[in-house]
Amino acid sequence: MNMKNGILAELWKNRSYYLMAVPGLALLIVISYFPYPGMILAFKNFNPMDGIYGSPWAGFENFKFFLDNGDFLRITMNTLWINFNNIFWGTMLAVVFALMLNELRNRTMKRVFQSIMFIPYFFSFAIVGKIVLLLFSSEYGLVNELIHAFNGHSIQWYTDPAPWVKILVSTNIWKNVGYSVIIYLSVITGIDEEMLEAASLDGASRVQKIRYILIPNLIPTIIILTLMSIGRIFFGDFALIYAIIENNGLLFETTDVIDTYIYRSMITGGGDYGMITAIGLCQSVVGFIVVLGSNWIAKRYDKDSALF
Amino acid sequence: MKSNTINKLSVMDFLIYGSLILFSLLTIVPFILAVVVSFSSEQSVVMNGYQFFPDAFSLSAYKVIFMDGIVLKAYSITIFVTVVGTIFSLVISTLLGYSISIPKVRYRNVIALIIFIPMIFGAGLVPWYLNMTKVLDLRNSLLAYIIPLAISPFNIFLLRNYYKSIPTALSESAEIDGAGPWYVFLKIITPLSGPILATIGLFASLAYWNDYTTPLWLIDDHSLFSVQFLLYRISSMIQYMSMNTNMATVELPSETLVFAMFLVAIGPIILVYPYVQKYFVKGIMIGSVKG
Repeated sequence: MNMKNGILAELWKNRSYYLMAVPGLALLIVISYFPYPGMILAFKNFNPMDGIYGSPWAGFENFKFFLDNGDFLRITMNTLWINFNNIFWGTMLAVVFALMLNELRNRTMKRVFQSIMFIPYFFSFAIVGKIVLLLFSSEYGLVNELIHAFNGHSIQWYTDPAPWVKILVSTNIWKNVGYSVIIYLSVITGIDEEMLEAASLDGASRVQKIRYILIPNLIPTIIILTLMSIGRIFFGDFALIYAIIENNGLLFETTDVIDTYIYRSMITGGGDYGMITAIGLCQSVVGFIVVLGSNWIAKRYDKDSALF
Repeated sequence: MKSNTINKLSVMDFLIYGSLILFSLLTIVPFILAVVVSFSSEQSVVMNGYQFFPDAFSLSAYKVIFMDGIVLKAYSITIFVTVVGTIFSLVISTLLGYSISIPKVRYRNVIALIIFIPMIFGAGLVPWYLNMTKVLDLRNSLLAYIIPLAISPFNIFLLRNYYKSIPTALSESAEIDGAGPWYVFLKIITPLSGPILATIGLFASLAYWNDYTTPLWLIDDHSLFSVQFLLYRISSMIQYMSMNTNMATVELPSETLVFAMFLVAIGPIILVYPYVQKYFVKGIMIGSVKG
């Protein structure tokens, strides 16, 4: 074997560069790769005494939650439904706001609105949870005060699961729309000025330019961003939902998602590790398939819209 | 005909301004209300709810949170984690990003693949948690805050693309003059990377400052609570404080306390926002260009 082309020779020749990669790579392996073997817990009957590897095998016992566990269907549907709404309405509003900001002729106003829209992205989820409380607290909240002002009866928000999907989705969009708007605005700014001028010369109205030039140019970006979100569609919006709902069991019917369920079973319930690992494994596998699948579809439709 | 178009345009402008103003109010109004509530007297909140014009103002909520050492302690934790975490994250991310940007490094794509895989197939929460607590033993340590957020695959690819965009003539001519890879990286490439370093550093700082999920999983020692986690746990902390200070819970301004804590947690972000916003906007725009 010719050492000149060998692995060791390459590592030695460019040792400085490989050395640069070591700290980051080591950390990544410790936090992201060390957990992989733990996935076998999904096939084990875990007990803390024997540990991950010593616990007896359980075959596919842990996957019976598909059949037995009544919670499972509910938390999966909640996860999908909340994420679907986040993606759909989030994209719609971001595109609409980007187009609106683009129509503003007054540059200062444009900057001011964009800055305000972006602020919630900087708020922590703990802050967001308190803002929701400020609005919807049954005793002191702003919304109930408004209802009172119009002679309505105050609503016990934190005991009624019905409105919470709307509240969670609105909060998510409110927090993140500014971020997406920046992306869409940068795409719009990149559109060839001459094309827009030519359209104006041909007598195209503002609406026509939006309809026939701006929106078609945004579509590849819309697809890419949607693909990235769809890959995460089985992962609940944990940080936001848990900051708002916490352990309020009265609201679980509509708001409990896979990730909040896993968190609660582990931290507070001391739950069945085998079963929740199995749920997590399904999340990862399905997420992986969804990413590859949607990427494959995007590639067929338009090469530039694919993620990789 | 002509007046018709003008009419249409103004209707459109009216709709645009209306929606934008409405949406802006959704951010501004709750924030102002939170500030006012934090300066309201507890009694006026209990009597009339959260009000823009409370019956009486009071500083008692702020007195309680600053008298009690917990808030200052939490601040020192948050500042420490943010500063150390950001620097640590910048150092390891730039080095890793740079190493995979060099064309002559033959296994750069292998390294890139190692970075990429966890992005599309994670181990799941239970193995992650067991690794953090049982293997790495990070429960209730400051490292628990720093480690999980230190490396973001997205940032590394962002850095790689940036380094790739720097003309190779610069490093090549230095190498001809005898400069080694470390010299080139530190003295030639890094000085040219100001904007991207600012952007990534700020994204990292924001993530560290705002992190409340890591302590949710890994911290239950009160003396290690960060500011955001303290805010999240404020109701249980109020009970804890009342036990500690021998004050009955009723005596603590518990409603206004929540929003005093709110302002304490959000204050620094609001103060720096006007100055740092442009770096975030730039970063998002670079990141959105596919690479």
